[in-house]
Amino acid sequence: MNPKRLLAITRAGIMESLHFRLGIFVTLFANLIYLVLVYYLWKAIYDSSGTAVVNGMTFTDTMIYLILATALFNFLEMFVVWDMSRSIQSGKIVLDLLKPMRFRKYTFWSYTGNHIVQFVLTFIPTFVVVMIVTKGAIPVGLNLVWFLIATVLALMINYNLEMIVSPICFYTESTWGINIVKETIVLLLSGATIPLAFFPEKARMVVQYLPFRAVYDIPLSILLEKNGSDTWQGLVSLFALQLAWLAVLTLAGNLFWNCAVKKVTVNGG
Amino acid sequence: MSEYSGNEAVIMKNVCKDFKVLNRHEGLKGSIKDLFSRDYKTVSAVRDVTLTVNRGEIIGYLGPNGAGKSTTIKMMTGVLEPTSGELLVNGKVPYKNRTENCENIGVVFGQRSQLWWSLPLIESFKLLRDLYMVPEKDYEGMIELYRSLVDIEPILHKPVREMSLGQRTLSDILAAFLHNPAIVFLDEPTIGLDVSMKAKIRELILGLNKEKNTTVILTTHDMGDVDALCRRIVIIDKGTKIYDNDIEHLKNYFGSYRTLKLKRSDDTWEEYLIDEKTTDVMDVIMEKQKSMKIKDVKIDEISTEEVIKKIYEGSAK
Amino acid sequence: MHKRGLAFYARIYRKILIQDLKSKMSYRADFIISTFGMIMTNLSGFITFMILFHNFPTINGWDYYHMLFLYGFSLVALTPVQCFFDNNWNLRFMVQSGDFIKYCFRPVNVFFYFISEVFDVKGLGQLAFGIGTIVYAWIKIGIPVTVIIIAKLLVFLLTASLFMIALMNFAAATCFWIKGSGYVMVIMFRFKDFAKYPSSIFEGIFKIIFTFIIPIAFIAYYPSLVILEPSNVPLLSWISPLYGILFVYLSYRFWMLGVRKYDFTGS
Repeated sequence: MNPKRLLAITRAGIMESLHFRLGIFVTLFANLIYLVLVYYLWKAIYDSSGTAVVNGMTFTDTMIYLILATALFNFLEMFVVWDMSRSIQSGKIVLDLLKPMRFRKYTFWSYTGNHIVQFVLTFIPTFVVVMIVTKGAIPVGLNLVWFLIATVLALMINYNLEMIVSPICFYTESTWGINIVKETIVLLLSGATIPLAFFPEKARMVVQYLPFRAVYDIPLSILLEKNGSDTWQGLVSLFALQLAWLAVLTLAGNLFWNCAVKKVTVNGG
Repeated sequence: MSEYSGNEAVIMKNVCKDFKVLNRHEGLKGSIKDLFSRDYKTVSAVRDVTLTVNRGEIIGYLGPNGAGKSTTIKMMTGVLEPTSGELLVNGKVPYKNRTENCENIGVVFGQRSQLWWSLPLIESFKLLRDLYMVPEKDYEGMIELYRSLVDIEPILHKPVREMSLGQRTLSDILAAFLHNPAIVFLDEPTIGLDVSMKAKIRELILGLNKEKNTTVILTTHDMGDVDALCRRIVIIDKGTKIYDNDIEHLKNYFGSYRTLKLKRSDDTWEEYLIDEKTTDVMDVIMEKQKSMKIKDVKIDEISTEEVIKKIYEGSAK
Repeated sequence: MHKRGLAFYARIYRKILIQDLKSKMSYRADFIISTFGMIMTNLSGFITFMILFHNFPTINGWDYYHMLFLYGFSLVALTPVQCFFDNNWNLRFMVQSGDFIKYCFRPVNVFFYFISEVFDVKGLGQLAFGIGTIVYAWIKIGIPVTVIIIAKLLVFLLTASLFMIALMNFAAATCFWIKGSGYVMVIMFRFKDFAKYPSSIFEGIFKIIFTFIIPIAFIAYYPSLVILEPSNVPLLSWISPLYGILFVYLSYRFWMLGVRKYDFTGS
């Protein structure tokens, strides 16, 4: 694949997201309100508990974790499933599949443009606000670099999860159903709704090895230097988990996708 | 206020429609700049159009892409409000009386089906009958009329989603006439259809127009539709009306033009448009004969297609 | 010109509903998947709830069963918006592609015509889940069962559902003005997750915002106080039905204003 072409697609993706200018501001605003909700809820929870530390997490830890998880979630949000189902229902999928570039690659790189915009416009401001409000509670050092790497891996894993789910659209029109199942599972098991540290011991053991954790929990753990990511061994094992899942999901995604495409070609669209 | 005598389906007087759009800048830098820009410009989609359509007429409303055709139709259907000017449809201002206006019009908009996707056609018909409060007797009569004009049996019990494009278009047209509206707007009704389906649909439109005296406003790029259906055409370009008269008149206007067709040795035809006032046909044939072998020669009157092309080109200058 | 009154709309809605259900039966896979999705979201909500209470015994003075009641209450209040107003989720796609214009060609109210197109059965699963939760919490708390209390419950459940309907109308209608506003709906729908907590957790300006402007407090908290604390019902609880009707009306006007102002360029 010509890297120049990939860059062109990414650039077009960036420009397309910027096109929706009011949408961007509204999104920022909506996020802010959401963060306020999260803040009040957890403040009340910690106030009622009587102790400052629960399961090794202070109120500040929990807040940072959840706020950044939300920011990450927004930045990773993809509408692949929705787009795909629209495209299938309108018959446009046939055209998409005929594009000179492999459809999945095209989708990935054009979303990358969107991700870059979202990262700059939602994640970085959120990060700065959190830094200011917590007066520098997030450690700043090499962990930022590791966090960026982990985030890129998370992005790829997330994309592969979408790609595994979206071929289901070829078989059903219930996009809402597919999407909500995916979103619910990912949000819950990745620790974006409630930090994994709060899960009961046994559940945590299981969730720790699932791919969903690699999307939100691992980058955030690395950023906050939790879960042993402050040691080299811990860091390596977290990255290893991400890479392992990335490999497995890419394979599975390819398999699913090829089966689904075969079905389209058989039906003739 | 314009005079409404009861015989006009549509009266437009100096109608304009402007849109406000953001001035977009090019490139990645431009996109970032646009994020904060307040640099709007006004685009006139329709400028000062005056037009009267009488009851029972079928008019062809033509123009190149982006000329302002759909904007005009959207104003007539009451979806958009004119920026200025007067617009009466069936004697009423459509934008102010949208619901009432909708009772008296039917719309087929391109390839977008307005029927319930997963319902068999007959069920869609029944729902439309209820929506438009069509009396049972009139409804039965209409279905009878449909039966006499086209073979509707094969599609009547088929869900719209399973229909071919041709069947879907046919269904949409039938649905648009079901409540016996005074005016039907057809936007590109034959786009993407094969030759026999096109013929079938034109016949149906003519038949319904004759039986029910329905006014039909047709926008199309297919001159076959125009030739088969319209006696009068209106041409709009860049929002301005540039022609409004009979097709015959239009052809006379370009009466000195001939289409010269030459058949090459490989049985393919080559076409030339010639203005007899300036060029002699025989000269052209002689000239061509020097470079190619001509098997056959045909001289035709100018086709509508070419006339329209000439007009578009003329207005572009 | 035909007069179209409430009876007309009720009749049309029923007919469209019947047709819609008939055609739904032919998509069994869709039905199963969306029902599964519904069960999953509820299960996930429930698990979150359990995990929370596993770590913290009370929240802002509310114990487990009272919170459970609020939770069930919010689930039931969500049912109408899911069953009847689900087409709002499709609005932005339709507006963007230009397909929305077809709703403007019929001699009926555009909002009605658009909303009537989809009835979502999956909301019923949530209803069952919510009712189960309410009943369980009801018994555990020991609220007496009288006709008056049941009647109050129904009225205030209905009231609570009005706010969710209005919020989703507002969120969906933003797409008439704002391109790429899909996220507003997503986040608005997530706001509902906070309805199941006592809104006494908010302070200052945000208490006002989440009560009157983005009325999360009315989706479960204020209406349910009528049942949970009959001796000490705040005034806001009593006026919530009126405020709910006003809010739905405003959201409807906003939605219709969007249709009027939109320039239908997508074609």
